[in-house]
Amino acid sequence: MSNTRVSRRQFLNYTLMGVGGFMASGMLMPMIRFAVDPVLEAGAAGDYIPTSQKVSELTEEPVRVDFTYDQVDGWYESEVTGTAWVYREGDKVVALSPVCKHLGCTVNWAGDSEHPNQFFCPCHAGRYEKNGQNVPGTPPTGPLDEFDVKIEDDLLYLGATKPNTLV
Amino acid sequence: MNWTANDLDLYMQQQEYIDTALIPLVHIGGGGAMKQSASSAEFLMNLSAFIERQFKGRVVLFPAFSYTDGNDKSRLASEWEASISDMPFKHVFYLTTDPSWSREGIIGDAIWIPSIPLESMDKKLKQSVLEDQVRQIIPVLTARWTSE
Ligand code: FES
Repeated sequence: MSNTRVSRRQFLNYTLMGVGGFMASGMLMPMIRFAVDPVLEAGAAGDYIPTSQKVSELTEEPVRVDFTYDQVDGWYESEVTGTAWVYREGDKVVALSPVCKHLGCTVNWAGDSEHPNQFFCPCHAGRYEKNGQNVPGTPPTGPLDEFDVKIEDDLLYLGATKPNTLV
Repeated sequence: MNWTANDLDLYMQQQEYIDTALIPLVHIGGGGAMKQSASSAEFLMNLSAFIERQFKGRVVLFPAFSYTDGNDKSRLASEWEASISDMPFKHVFYLTTDPSWSREGIIGDAIWIPSIPLESMDKKLKQSVLEDQVRQIIPVLTARWTSE
């Protein structure tokens, strides 16, 4: 009977180990996160993602360009497909983000037959000019973001998005 | 919007714009139907995620409502409907690959899409198949938005 009982010393040992373990994990977790985070973040800002769009085939009419990259969120790793609206402007290539500045729906070029030369957001009828400028009187509060672009061997590379520099 | 704390924060502030609940109905089959039901679920979840991204600012994608053959569908439907009607959504879209919901009139306006096995497709094909499907569903959604 007596050897199944937990002695006072054992009890204290267990409790202290428990608390100590808890404290140690409290200290270690941020350290592990700190060490692991940069790995998880690889592929984020600063990198250019290749697309299959040939720059020589671009015209002044915006076309949709899709690209994929890996994204890690928590332990959930997924392959994300991104989209850009891309067109040529003189000798410059412009790539706009399709994410509506109202609440984040995906906008389409010429998505509304009444406004064939604008981007259209189907969610609340938001509209943007070709350069991304939001049309006043529609819900969006700012212009579409712009991608950094890079051209290599006639192929389009997309970088990070930045606030629109065209409007 | 997704069913995450951050997205729901935004939802709370913008309820007047984010007025639609999108609820995938997923059948969990047993025995010989397991793989088939997994394939349908895979398709439906991919499709829902796609729709969510297109309509992020108007739609809240719910975690899938799942059911097995043992569930009484009419009962589930009325229980779900009762719970959802407590939430301030103007539109509720049920999305499913199981034709019985709408065919038997259990949820008359459930949107049925035939399941397409994505598991054997490569990324590109998958993407374009899903796009085609979404393109077919969009008019259904917009019609309901404008009519109701
Ligand atoms: S999300 Fe684009 S107009 Fe509201």
